[in-house]
Amino acid sequence: MAHVQIRNVSKIYADGTPAVTGLDLDIAAGEFLCVLGPSGCGKSSTLRMLAGLEEVSTGQILVDGDDVVGRPARERDIAMVFENYALYPHLDVFANIAMPLVARRRPKAEIRDRVGRIAGTMGITEHLAKRPGKLSGGQRQRVSLARAMIRRPKMFLMDEPLGHLEEYMRIELRREIRALHEAAGGTTFYITHDQEEAAAVSDRIAVMSSGELQQLGTMKELIERPANRFVAEFVGEPPISIFEELRATGTEVSIGDWRLPLPPGSRKARPASAGVRPAHFRIAGSDMPGLSAEARLVQPMGESAAVLCDTPAGDATVIVPMAAVPREGDRFRLVAAPEHVHFFAASGRAIRSGED
Amino acid sequence: MASMDTSTARLAPKAARAPGSLGTGDILRYALASIFVGFCLFPLYMVLSTSLKAEADIFAFPPAWSFRPIWDNFNDALFVFGGTGVMPFLLNSVIVTAASTAAAVGLGAMVAYGLTRFRIRGGSHLFFFILSTRFAPPVAFVVPLYLMVRQTGLMDTHLALILIYTSMNLSLVVWIIRGFFEAIPVEIEEAAEIDGYSRLQIFFKVALPLVKPGLITTAILSAIMSWNEFLIATVMTQNKAATLPVYLGGFSGSMGLEWGPYMAVGAIAVLPIMIFTLVLQKHLVRGLTFGAVR
Repeated sequence: MAHVQIRNVSKIYADGTPAVTGLDLDIAAGEFLCVLGPSGCGKSSTLRMLAGLEEVSTGQILVDGDDVVGRPARERDIAMVFENYALYPHLDVFANIAMPLVARRRPKAEIRDRVGRIAGTMGITEHLAKRPGKLSGGQRQRVSLARAMIRRPKMFLMDEPLGHLEEYMRIELRREIRALHEAAGGTTFYITHDQEEAAAVSDRIAVMSSGELQQLGTMKELIERPANRFVAEFVGEPPISIFEELRATGTEVSIGDWRLPLPPGSRKARPASAGVRPAHFRIAGSDMPGLSAEARLVQPMGESAAVLCDTPAGDATVIVPMAAVPREGDRFRLVAAPEHVHFFAASGRAIRSGED
Repeated sequence: MASMDTSTARLAPKAARAPGSLGTGDILRYALASIFVGFCLFPLYMVLSTSLKAEADIFAFPPAWSFRPIWDNFNDALFVFGGTGVMPFLLNSVIVTAASTAAAVGLGAMVAYGLTRFRIRGGSHLFFFILSTRFAPPVAFVVPLYLMVRQTGLMDTHLALILIYTSMNLSLVVWIIRGFFEAIPVEIEEAAEIDGYSRLQIFFKVALPLVKPGLITTAILSAIMSWNEFLIATVMTQNKAATLPVYLGGFSGSMGLEWGPYMAVGAIAVLPIMIFTLVLQKHLVRGLTFGAVR
């Protein structure tokens, strides 16, 4: 278990492509940190730099205060789980799991004992004599997890470990990964582009885009206080409703026919767009102050439904309990508490109270 | 697993015809294949049958399809000729072939691995350059090689042939094994690196076992080439290190051809390499890397 600090790290590939720019991340000892972002956002490059598989262009990576930049992967005391499992096809499952111990020349009896125990935990004992080619995807990833968990390394690195698996297997395994993390007590750096998965496994989530850290926080913080428009739009399902056309008049701002007080932080940066999460909208009568809307499409989602509405400010989505779902064509107003209306400057940065 | 069972069950009904019965298309296919196989094997049949025939049967025309086999030719080839028989030459061939094959495959695998896994300036040109050493016919190199071998005092030694054959086979080995290394997903080696292995350990413990089919293929090709090479061998060796082809070449010398013993030596020359190839072929397991990733 180690305290990992990424200090102003950049990665520029040989062909000049910048993958990561000025990244600062502090991962507490024992923390489960998830990096969430679209493909090409630099999350894999970051993980590979932590692993020592990719060189760091500039910056420092401190593990318990030690700069490990330039140190080969085998000296970093880490374990890694790959998206495509990366098992040794010529070795049986037992030998696959034992590899990290064999490399460290542990006695045979100890290896047998530890492999047996981790295989029991992962539920793959009956497959120990098989080659990986004979296993299903879920079983292979279990083997790969067992190989990572056989030691107590300073850090566990997981590169979209559930990416290739079917939905039900993903849900089952992410619960196990979280449990394993708690049992092992290691520092875990986990990459995914699935926000539901990120929320399920991690303590904190780092959202990355175009090589830069956008926001670091819990899922709740990302939903309730997005740092910028990218985070607001990338995180949350169904996606936030964004209104591009705002009219600011003195101390007020209007979204279509909905008038709101200007946010306190907007004296320096004028709000250029606003967003409201579908779960934060409520349907109110046409006589109430709010955004006039007409239901266009109702998408049931089990106990509630997402209702897509036409408004004078553009499309908006609202989540309504199944019992109160309007019919398509119904007219009403959409309202939200002022703290749930997020304003963004032209640069995309969130405008918050107390920031001017 | 349940899913596996269903998939095999789905494949099974494909054999719609009763086992053992053939359609017209199958018969035609087998007939064509048989003709081709017969065409290829006929020279081998002639060598083997002639080596077992008495002189009168050898020259019978039309050829005698049934005859009483005799072992005199093999006896002559093994023990009588030149007072020593074929044995020393056979031994030379085995030494030269084994050493040059091992060296070519071993060195070639390392070169191919280095060129596929490390970023080397102009690496792809290097591959082309390596293959280009085979563009010129070997006879073009005979004189310079002869001078080098004489200068270094290696005339009529095993080492001379081993060095030359190794260098001749190396390009082919590098070229073929490169493809096998490229097929290994790089993540497998990265996993080994993280598990705590050095580059050299990864090469021996992970990369080499995964390219076993490539090693076997190139070993077979290299061995056949070294075993049968005549031109270089006949120039660089006279008797101490002379190989079987040199010995065979000597038959067409002054005293007219003795076909029986000639073919017996031919048969002796074919058998070891044939056995070697058949044994190794069994280990040519396709798709070893399959299932490692995804």
